[in-house]
Amino acid sequence: MANWIPLWLHKLSSPPVFYRFAGRLRPWAIALALILGLVALYGGLVLAPPDYQQGDDYRIIFIHVPCAWMSLFVYAIMGIASFIALVWRIKLAEVVAMASAPIGASFTFITLVTGSLWGERMWGTWWTWDARLTSELVLLFLYLGVIGLYHSFEDRRQGARTAAFLALIGIVNVPIVHFSVNWWNTLHQGSTIRLLGPSTMAGSMIWPLLTMMAATKFYYIASLFGRTRTDLLALESGKDWVRQIAEDEGRR
Amino acid sequence: MADPRRSGLGHACMAVLRRDLTLAWRQRGDMALPVLYALIVTSLFPFALGPEDALLRRIAGGVVLVTVLLAMLLALDAMFRSDIEDGSLEQLMLAPQPLALMLGMKILAHWLATAVPLIVIAPLLAGMLHLPTPVIPVLLLALLLATPLLSLLGGVLVALTAGTRRSGMLLALMLLPLCVPVVIFAAGALAAAQEGLPWIAPIAWLGAAFALTVVLAPLACAAALRIALDS
Repeated sequence: MANWIPLWLHKLSSPPVFYRFAGRLRPWAIALALILGLVALYGGLVLAPPDYQQGDDYRIIFIHVPCAWMSLFVYAIMGIASFIALVWRIKLAEVVAMASAPIGASFTFITLVTGSLWGERMWGTWWTWDARLTSELVLLFLYLGVIGLYHSFEDRRQGARTAAFLALIGIVNVPIVHFSVNWWNTLHQGSTIRLLGPSTMAGSMIWPLLTMMAATKFYYIASLFGRTRTDLLALESGKDWVRQIAEDEGRR
Repeated sequence: MADPRRSGLGHACMAVLRRDLTLAWRQRGDMALPVLYALIVTSLFPFALGPEDALLRRIAGGVVLVTVLLAMLLALDAMFRSDIEDGSLEQLMLAPQPLALMLGMKILAHWLATAVPLIVIAPLLAGMLHLPTPVIPVLLLALLLATPLLSLLGGVLVALTAGTRRSGMLLALMLLPLCVPVVIFAAGALAAAQEGLPWIAPIAWLGAAFALTVVLAPLACAAALRIALDS
């Protein structure tokens, strides 16, 4: 009987079940994010050798590159959740999509800030209208548009569905950001890490980067679970299971 | 025999178009505002940057494009506003005719009422900034393709904000990411024409984007309106 997976997913999409599930998993995600993040920072800032060309300045990639990946990854998750929310009208998908938006916006913001710090050292300029920088900035505006549209509605679910539609329209930008370094040959350097074929980067530099990438993923999960838990409580505030939790909290 | 509910589809389209154009014409003052706005913004550039001919000539194409875009953004908010307030949009949603087609007609009427006057004064705006005369046909062609694109994209976003009270600044934030490619290709055509290079490729991209949008945007607009007004 292999149909326990869809059954389990179906059950998970009910707010009280997801609330408990997220509550159980969240401490683990926080712990993993912290441990992996510290290991990656130690590996990147202490163990990894200086770059032959960029010296010690290149070390900002251990923050910059994982955040840049996450800025696209979170948008993709938001897009998928938006699609589910619009097609199947699942409340949890709406909450996940809208909770992802501020996290993704923060990752995009960090990417832009660290990128411009790096640019100041490497290219001698804080900002240039290069294809990847510009498309990343557009990504930030997309996130902000989704957040702004969501908050401009009085009815939260209606706001969530409307903002989810905007998120879906904006998903055309994700491949543009991802491939911009390959399509336009401007200032930003090309990709050095490849899933297929050998990477053009030393192993001692790659492992902290990949570890940091895992750490940001776990951070995203932890943050998403925290946000969805709060949002679910607010959204379902009249329901029995929320009242039950409130009473239990009060007794403690 | 034709489906009686679908008969007179063309008639319905014409009715929506004629109604919106009549409404726009009755409020000619509102129609003139984007044009005045564009004139004022354009005249600010020589004050801000200094009146050197060479500098103005170099930025003229881009300034006219951005000014027209901003003027259209200003008028966008009003696209469905009065129809939502008096409930005629809900009537349109209940009508047997396909909503996407009716909305397409409304967007067309809005484009005719706001963008066409802007395109008409575009040579004047370009002249104020000393854009070389041979580039003006390219400018008009680029505007002729870029402004309906903006109207269509804007229509979808206006539909999304239909359920909210105030949406002016939000519209700007939402439209900006979507209209970046439009601006890049239109400005690319102008820059190429100004340097005497072939400019047909970016115009062709604009045309392709227009063809795609004219098919998809009314459908997206109808879907967005159904989501935003469903309560």
